[in-house]
This record gives sequence, C-alpha cells and structure tokens, in this order.
Amino acid sequence: MWENFGFEFVNYYFIPGLVLGCIYALGAIGITLTFGILRFANFAHGEIMMTGAFLTWTFLEISNIFLGFYMHPLIACTPAIFIAIFLALSVDRYFYKPFRDSPTIIIVMASFGMMLIIRSLVQVIWGPNQITFVKGIAKPNSYLKDFSSSMDMMLLVPSKHLFIILGTIIIMLAFNYMLTSTRIGKAMRAVSDSPDLAKVTGIDVEQVIRATWIVGGFCAVMAGVFMAMDTQFIMSTMGFRMLLPMFAAAILGGIGRPFGAVLGGLVIGFAEELSAYPWFGNGPLLSPGYKSGVAFSILVLMLVFRPSGILKGRVF
Amino acid sequence: MDELIGYFLYFLSLLSVGGIYALLALGLNVNWGFAGLFNAGIAGFAAVGAYTFAILTTAESTFHYGGLGLPIIIGEISAFLIAGIIAAVIGIISIRLRADYLAIATIGIAEIIKLIFKNQVDITNGPRGINKIPRTWEHFSESRYFSQPILSWIGDNQFWQAFFDSLVNWWWQPLFAATILFFVFVVYMMLERARVSPWGRMMTAIRENEDAARAAGKDVTRRRVEAFIIGTMIMGLAGALLAQHLRFIEPTHTFDPSKMTFLVWVMLIAGGSGNNRGAILGAFLIWFVWSASELFLNGFIDIVANIFNGIDVSMLKNRSGYLRMLLIGLVLQFVLQKYPKGILPERRPAAPGE
Amino acid sequence: MKKIILTGIASAALAVSASAEVKVGNPMAVTGPIPDLVAPMLLAVDLAEKHVNEQGGLFADGQKYTIVRADSGCDPTAAVDAVTKLVNVEQVSAIIGPVCSGATIAQAQSVTMPAGVVTLSVSASSPAISSLESGTDLVFRTAASDAFQGKALAELAIANGIMDLAISYANDDYNAAIAAVFASNYEILGGTITANEAHEPDKSSYRSEVATLGADTNNLALFAYYGSSGITILRNSLETGAFDLFFGADGMAAQEVIDQIGAENLGNAFFTTSTSDQTTNAFGAWKAAADAANVPAADPFVPNSYDAAFMMALAIEKLGSGDRAGIASALRAIANGPGEVILPGEFAKAKAILAAGGSIHYVGASGPQDFFNNGDVAGFFSKNTVVDGAWKAEIIK
Repeated sequence: MWENFGFEFVNYYFIPGLVLGCIYALGAIGITLTFGILRFANFAHGEIMMTGAFLTWTFLEISNIFLGFYMHPLIACTPAIFIAIFLALSVDRYFYKPFRDSPTIIIVMASFGMMLIIRSLVQVIWGPNQITFVKGIAKPNSYLKDFSSSMDMMLLVPSKHLFIILGTIIIMLAFNYMLTSTRIGKAMRAVSDSPDLAKVTGIDVEQVIRATWIVGGFCAVMAGVFMAMDTQFIMSTMGFRMLLPMFAAAILGGIGRPFGAVLGGLVIGFAEELSAYPWFGNGPLLSPGYKSGVAFSILVLMLVFRPSGILKGRVF
Repeated sequence: MDELIGYFLYFLSLLSVGGIYALLALGLNVNWGFAGLFNAGIAGFAAVGAYTFAILTTAESTFHYGGLGLPIIIGEISAFLIAGIIAAVIGIISIRLRADYLAIATIGIAEIIKLIFKNQVDITNGPRGINKIPRTWEHFSESRYFSQPILSWIGDNQFWQAFFDSLVNWWWQPLFAATILFFVFVVYMMLERARVSPWGRMMTAIRENEDAARAAGKDVTRRRVEAFIIGTMIMGLAGALLAQHLRFIEPTHTFDPSKMTFLVWVMLIAGGSGNNRGAILGAFLIWFVWSASELFLNGFIDIVANIFNGIDVSMLKNRSGYLRMLLIGLVLQFVLQKYPKGILPERRPAAPGE
Repeated sequence: MKKIILTGIASAALAVSASAEVKVGNPMAVTGPIPDLVAPMLLAVDLAEKHVNEQGGLFADGQKYTIVRADSGCDPTAAVDAVTKLVNVEQVSAIIGPVCSGATIAQAQSVTMPAGVVTLSVSASSPAISSLESGTDLVFRTAASDAFQGKALAELAIANGIMDLAISYANDDYNAAIAAVFASNYEILGGTITANEAHEPDKSSYRSEVATLGADTNNLALFAYYGSSGITILRNSLETGAFDLFFGADGMAAQEVIDQIGAENLGNAFFTTSTSDQTTNAFGAWKAAADAANVPAADPFVPNSYDAAFMMALAIEKLGSGDRAGIASALRAIANGPGEVILPGEFAKAKAILAAGGSIHYVGASGPQDFFNNGDVAGFFSKNTVVDGAWKAEIIK
C-alpha cells in the first residue's frame, strides 16, 4: 500500500500542499489580524509580502558584493523585516489613520490605492522582470532521504521545504506564546473580540494597532521570503497573486482567529495541490486550468454557508 | 487638418470608453450608492454581458459556439437580461453577506466566471477569444448586414458597397460614441427617476438603518436583491458595449479586475457614491486621466530628457506604464483625503411635501 | 505648476516638430504579464531605429525615423486605447507591434483596419490572424503562424523518436493556440498523447500537476512563457523527477531559463524558435549588430522585432513618404523581392539602391520575410539546445 499509494502521494501532493499551506497561513495571519482589529480587508497586504521578498533579494546581492558570498535568505531577511514593518507603520500613519472613524469602504479603497502605489513603486525601482532568487534546482535533502528510506518510507523533501515548514512551526509557536502570555498579545485578542469593551478597560487601542502591523508585517515578509525560497524567483506581481487565496484562508479560519488563519491556509494549500491528484482514474480530479478556482470556490461556499469560518470567528 | 480630425477622433474614443465606464459606475452606484452592496465582481458581470453579446451577434464561426448572427439590439437586450439572471442566482445566495464579505465573495465569483469562460473552449474559444464582433453603425458596412432587410429593400449589394466605400473611413465613429452616450443618458434618467421614487427612498432607508426599515415592515432582503440585479444588468449592458468597442474579447486581460473592477470603484468613490451625476463625472474624469496620462507622461519624460541633457531616459520610458499606475494610486489617495464624499456628494431626495 | 507643465509640453511639441520625421507607432506589452519577454524586444526595435537614423535617415533629405512607443499591456482594452492615441494624436504612418495575439486582433479590428493603417506585428502568432481581414491587406506579421510552428515541432518530436508525451500548456492566447496545433499534428503523425491539460499561469507551485501528468510518460511538451509558468514547471518537474525530457516552442528558449535552472539540468530539453538559419549571412549580420548593441540576438521574437522595425523603414523609404495608403504595397515590394538582397542593418545600401531606382529584397534576422497574401510569413524554425551554457540553434526546415 505504502509503495503504491503513499510514496507518490506524500512526496508529490502532500508535502507540496503543506509548503503552499504554510506560505498561505503566514500571509493570512496578517490579513485576519487587520480584519479583526482594524476591521477592514487590507488589499495592500500582498504588496508588503512582495516588498519584503524584494528587499531580502537586495540584501542578498549586497552581501555578495561586500562579503563575497550569498547569505542564507533567512539571515538576509532580518533587515528587510525592519524596513517592511516601518513601511507598514508609515502607511498606516499617513493613509489609514485619517479614516479610522470613516465608513469601511473608504479605508478599503485607501488600502487598494496603497496596493497600486507600492506595487508600481517596486516596478519602477526594481523593474517588472522576474529576478532570480536562488539558482538551480533543489535536490531532495539526502540525509532525510537516507534516514527515511532506512525506515521504508523514502521522503523526498528539498532542504528549502524543510526550512519553510520548520520556520512556520517556530513562528507559530512564538506567536502563540505572544498571544497567550504577553500583555500586548492579550490586549490584541481583547480588541479583536470587542473593541468597545477593550477601550473601556483602558487598553491603548493605537498601541494595539501598531502591534498588529508589526506582527502582520513580520509574518507577511516571512511568507514572501518563504515563497521566494520555494519558487526561487521573485516578481512584482507575486503578492497580488497570493492575495485572494490568503483572503480565502483568513475567512475559512474565521476572521480575527490567527490560528484559524493557519488552519485555513493549510486547507487551501492542500486543496489546491490535491485537486490535481488522480483520485478517480488517471487524469487529474480537476483540470489544472481550474486550479485558481479551488480557493475561490472554497471561499464563496464558506461565505455562503458558514461565514464565521471553521473556528467560529467574528461576523460583521 | 489631419491633426485636428485626429484629436477629434481621439476625443470620440475617450467619450466612448468613458461612457462604457460611466455605465459600469452607474450600475455600481445602484449596488453601492443606493443599497450599500459592496460588489467587487464588476469584471465578471461585464464579462457575462460581453460574451452573451459576442456569441449572439457574431457571424457563424468555427472557433466558438454559434456565432448566431442575431441583430445587435437583440444582443444588447440579451446581455442585459442574462447578466440579470446570473446576478439573481448569485444575489439570492449571497445577499445576506455584509460589506467586506460580499466584496470578497463577489471577487471570488467573478474569478470563477472568468475561469469558466477561459476553460469552456467549445463555447468561448477559451483564452484565444472571440473576434469580429460587430460594432453598432460600423456593422452596416459588412455585407451580411446590408444584404438583408431592411437595407436590402433600399438598394442592392453594389449600391451599398459603393455607398460605404464613398464615406470617410471614420463615419461611424461619432455615431457610435453618440449611441453609447445615449445609453448613458437613458440609464441615468431611469436611475434618477428610481432614486426619487418610493423605491429609491426605501433603498436609502435600508442602507442607512436596516433594522429600522425592517421594523417598518419593509422586505429588506428582496429590495437588496433587486438593487443587486438592476446594478448588475447595467454592468452587463456595459460589457456588451465594451465588446463592440474592442471588437475582440478574451477572458484574461480584457476583464482584468484591476482595470475593470477597481478602476470603476475609484471612479464611483471619486465622483461621489450615491449621486448618479457623480458616478458619470467620476467615470469620465478618471478615464481621461488614465488614458491621457500616457501622452502627458511621455511628453514629460521628453522634457526631462531635454532639460538634463544626456541622461538615459529609456529605462524611465519603458517603465512609464507603471508610473501611470502610481499616478492613479496617488489620485485616489488625494481624493479620499480631500473629498471623502466624492466630488459631487450625495444629495438626498426631498421628502414628499417639502 | 500647471503653467510649467503646459509650457513644457508646448516646448517638447515644438522641439519634436522642428525637424522633419516619419513616425511609426510601436505599441508593446511593456506592462502586463510578460515584461521579461518584451524587454529585449524593445531593445531590438530601438536598435533598428538607431540603424536607420545613423545611416542617413529616411529619404534624400535625411528625415528622422521615429518610433513612438506606447503600452499595449497584452490587454485588448489597453491596446485599443494606446493605438487610438498613436493613430489619431501622434498621426503615425503605420503600427509595429503589439506583442500578444489578442491585443493585435483587437487593435487591428477596432482601430487600424477601419482607419486604413498597416499593422506589422512582431510576435503575434495566433492562427486567427491569418483570416482576420477580408481583402484589406492591412495586417502583416514577421512571426510565423502557430499553424506552421506547431506542425514543425510535431515533426521534430517524431523525428527525435518521441512517441509518447504529455502536454501542459499555459491557458493564454499564445500557448493554448500552439498547443492545439501541435497536439493534432502529433497525433496525425502517429504519436500518443497520454495527457493534455491546460494550466493556470502564475501559480507558485505546479508539483501536483506535473506528478499527475507524468504518471505515464517521461516526455513533456511544455507550452508556456518562461516568465509566468515555464520556469516553475521545469523546476518542479526536475525536482520531483516527473519528466526527464522537455520540449516546446518560442516562449521558453530564453537565456533566463538557463540562468535560473542551470545548464547542467537542461541537457534533455529543446525548444523551437522561429529564426533564420544561424549559418546564413542574414543571421550573421544581425548577430554582429545585436552583440555590439548588447541585445540578446536569439531570444524569443527579438529578431522578429528587429525585422519588423527595419522593414517598416525600408518600406517607407521605398514609398518615398509616410503616406499610410501606400505602405502595404511598399512592404510587399521590399520583402518579397525580386531585387538586391539586403541584410539586417544595411540601410545605407538599401537607400542607395532605391535612390538609383533599383529594387531590394530584405532577408531578415528571423528568416526571409516573404509575405503571403494574408500577410503571414512562412516559418523557418530552429531547434535550440543548451550547449556551453547558452542556447544553440540549428535550423530544422
């Protein structure tokens, strides 16, 4: 059974689905936090992700010029994270803050405008072309391959995927600690659950909003870098392409529920990759031409039948 | 002289496309301005109208289904109706979603509609698209139209061929622009009537305070579905006109959400949501900025090149398309901060007796 | 501010109109889904403009040959808008461009054909363009129709002993069209297609698709633009070992593919491009000129772009004016011969011959550009394989 079904399924469908799911999950955290705390759908979120990846690439190139070698992307992304968080905070300060008390549509439009501005700035500065992030192809991690084949399992996972999966787990654990055990984390949950009540109890809402952008920005940059590590190139439209699946993940998990977003991200990632598995007969279950439709269909069905999401999130 | 005619023809083209966008913005105004429905699936509904029109009116073709060769007016009416039917189905299942949720759902639905058009190759020719779509007025110079009644009663084929050959080659362009503007005017008049009617005032009441409207015994859900369908039908009609203007449609780029959906939102918000004149003004204004900015930016880059003699502007030239996007984003932020209610804010209809 | 801009525009307009020139519009998909592919094509068009102006410009009085660029974005709406401006406001004599087939069809039907302006497309290869016009003779192209290249590729596959394969094509106007032609020809020639699926471009992973498609065969016919899904599919296939032999058409044979994937991984890959025989004088002349100007000579549609811009200049020179009406027949005259052979870059020579009343026959960088009645050209295709870290082309037909 394992030889016939499992080998292919695990290596070619399950693990790619998991990797994609991790990337969606990290991106969806920022979306669900802004949705829960600031109460609007942030269309510019994908662009923060993309900017983070471009900045990381820039630092990789700088390290090559000054140090003579390419750092690991996970090291080069550190300065990129600070810049991207600064970007997210200043966008909030100048373009979202004036509309805190306005109707939602105004701030959604403002975020849409930011999406255009950030993306076209990146296109003017770095150009619209694809940029190679890491060259070559990634062979499966030989240590894991040998180890697992000695246990009759044969896992073919490239090192880049191990970094992505482990990185996501570490970020999740740190995030969990922050939300449950730190003061600001608890305040964030309180504002997300009921902003008026939180205000009455003396929580500094503006501080919580800043924390939201910092956490959301950090996760977005990590998602962008992980995606760049996976696809091995970066492109100015990569953020926008990920945006709708990430919205789907956030809604699937329940708005304002960060762990729901993770769950939603994983579900969307698996659903997209497993839709091409030959469940019946030899052909893919769903024509790959419809692949993007998987996330959208889940999104629409979820909204219509259970808008509160899997983990009973907020419904506005 | 040629140059003057050239500017005139470009102006007509601006009016045509601006008019199509004005129809989209008017449709959106019924959704958002009247009823508060955050419809972000404009591209999908326009695509429904465009494909309906294209399949019904093109001549028989081996590339896609039909080519039924029906008269243009039937294509336009069908685009209007089919968009309404699709909207009714979508509206009934998703209308209870609020604001952002409806937006995300409609984006998703629009993308699914586009994917269907893209993958049902037998019917739509998939990504290769449908071409040779007839354009109002210009289509009379095609032999399949002038060889049929009513034109064939007046003269035979040679007569019409000679007649159309004798006309200046842009004879149809003012007529086509006028036709689009006529549609805009008719829709505008009907919406103005609707806005001040009891129906329109009820819509405002529902948008402002749904609970109170419900308590007053109004069928809120039904009214909202109605507003969704009416707005979407207007978008379907705009799609049919867009198909005529382009004479070729394909699903991916023609109905790209950033140019069809979000640009229309920018138009409505900039012009003034809730105000039909605002929607029209916003559509023409933003489209003029969008289209003419290419000429201005290129001129501006030339000036920069002339002033700073010797710098290489080829990079800037090749990226000027992105500078345009940047410009639109900045215009949007400016309008939002300076005119949060739009250039022409909503004016409430006077209550009866005032 | 407003005043400065207005005076600036006025002065720019004056500066432009001061010297006599012939303007040709060049809508290209500068923005849009395939900027990578288009960037070197822009360089090639600019190079042709430079060659013409450096070698004495147009006509006896040396008028400037000006390429007016606009952004057609691979999008029918943008293309129609851009070409409307070129034809009406800029009053160009002809159009060289749009890149994508959809944009080309839309702008031709909506703007240039009604206005009587010639379109010479640089890369639109959709078979639908062959039947676009009815007796107007206004649409030409320097890239061969997919109807030819798909067939050539099918013959090449059979000749290489590939008897079974899976097809994966990006669901866009170019790739879907050539994949359809390839599939029907390949089956007629006796090949077996184990799977034939479209894929959505621009996804971040195609691992599951390639795993499913690769279940029954090791050969993949890949039709995609390298920048939107081609490289990702190649990489995913190599990483999962789903396929070990790859082939396809124009959209993939770019240096960027080798740079990203690595030459050592592409030993078993070949892609066809439409080009002239690289051993001919025409290609040699083009290669020398392109190398001197740092233009990637053999990238997809780059030679075709140069040919289009250069031939348009020759046609205008032959016609003796920028008059829109005569360009179609002048274009046929310089492209179809008979006459003295002109190679890429030899504008001064062509000018001298034309001035002396002779006739010329342009043989282009992407093959002899003899136009058929419907404005198409016959394709000359080469098979590109990776040799020493670069694509090496050898002519197949």
